Amino acid sequence: MTVPAAPDPWVVGPVTRTDFVRYQGASGDMNPIHHDEEFARAAGFPTPFSVGMWQASLLGTYATNWLGAENVRNFRIRFLEQVWPGDVLTCGGEVVREYDHEGERRVDIELTCRRQTGGKAVTAWSTFVLPGAQPDGEADGA
Amino acid sequence: MSGPNHGSNHSGDYEERLAAFVGVEVVPPKPGQDPVNVPMIRHWVEAMGDQNPIYLDAEAARATGRDGIVAPASMVQAWTMRGYAATAAGPAPVNPGRGPGMAELIALLDEGGYTSVVATDSEFEFHRELVVGDHVSAREVVESISPEKTTALGVGRFVTTMRTYTDAGGEVVAVQRWRTLRFRPKPKTEPQPEAAQEPEPKAPRPRPAINRDNEFWFAAARDHRLVIQRCASCQVLRHPPGPCCAHCGSFDWDTVEASGRGHVYSFVVNHHPRHPAFEYPLIVAVVELAEGTRLITNLVGVTPEEVEIGMPVVLDWLDADPDLSLPVFRLREGSN
Repeated sequence: MTVPAAPDPWVVGPVTRTDFVRYQGASGDMNPIHHDEEFARAAGFPTPFSVGMWQASLLGTYATNWLGAENVRNFRIRFLEQVWPGDVLTCGGEVVREYDHEGERRVDIELTCRRQTGGKAVTAWSTFVLPGAQPDGEADGA
Repeated sequence: MSGPNHGSNHSGDYEERLAAFVGVEVVPPKPGQDPVNVPMIRHWVEAMGDQNPIYLDAEAARATGRDGIVAPASMVQAWTMRGYAATAAGPAPVNPGRGPGMAELIALLDEGGYTSVVATDSEFEFHRELVVGDHVSAREVVESISPEKTTALGVGRFVTTMRTYTDAGGEVVAVQRWRTLRFRPKPKTEPQPEAAQEPEPKAPRPRPAINRDNEFWFAAARDHRLVIQRCASCQVLRHPPGPCCAHCGSFDWDTVEASGRGHVYSFVVNHHPRHPAFEYPLIVAVVELAEGTRLITNLVGVTPEEVEIGMPVVLDWLDADPDLSLPVFRLREGSN
């Protein structure tokens, strides 16, 4: 069985302070640097900036929509550039590797959340199992 | 140098105090405020734009073979966040009967000047889906604290912790390696509305290639003296500096100090490529000194349209940074 095709890139934004605050309310992360203008400036930033876990979790949404929420095994995130109010984010992904592991067929994917500048805000790597796919006996690529 | 000097905090003693936190459980296992519940999931999936019905609709979840609604995997951390009231109340108090915890680690980092924080990495391993009613606890252990690193945001230290999420029965539901950069914020560079401040160069001026034959010239420049190399045998002046007289071949030389007067021998205006150390338009000129030697320099205080070949100029000094001063030239007033 082949891995389902990756969904079209998902465009989010222009993102707003309200998006950040909504995520903060949902996550319980009330760090004021993401919504308090004066606090952010005092910390050396020009404005509040997004919560890294928000844009990272947007990639999570993209990935679980693609390969199934029940199939995710891990999710590794690298925060690269900060996301600022007004940014337009584009989430996409691709298959890196398909292999057998402990009797399961697995797929490793790489996900990227890019800013409108082309800069990467977040790169993530995730492993999913492919349900219903029998291990085909191929050697684990590792 | 200006600003507070935190150097004394980087003594061996400070390093040891930081190192003492490695391996320490800085957050003991603590149940989240609420068990996994649909209202919190609803807020989360709305923020995420996630429309998968298994998170809100029990029927839809059962249709996938699940027992009921499940929580998004990425939400595991949210079940253990302490929420706004606790955040507003300030750092968590010291745990009675326990060693130093997260509040003490953050205080120690603050003491070192690392008062700002950004997340750099998160590595989740999910062991099972969370279902409504699960009561998640998290504990956090410090895995490593890096030596001081220079980053784009400022100097800081990477602090890596391992968070373990467990259910009410103590079974691990997920683990998370969490890395943040705790850093010393750079001085503010935001534009001031008054426009009173000097524009700060975005990057240091490129370093000259200094060697034994030309170091005297740059050393004199740091003292704001423009010197010209002179052959000790035939007295011919030369620039740029070199080991040997092109006129007589002698290796003996001394210097004379230039008058600082000259004229524009030729010039170009540099538009592209732009280097962040320079102001544009950048006038690069060959100035012929009154003594007869020529040097490549910049013209300042004049627009490209105003520059003419033959224009009289006078020496000024550019103090690019504490280690680099360079001669520049401006229009010589009253000479026309």
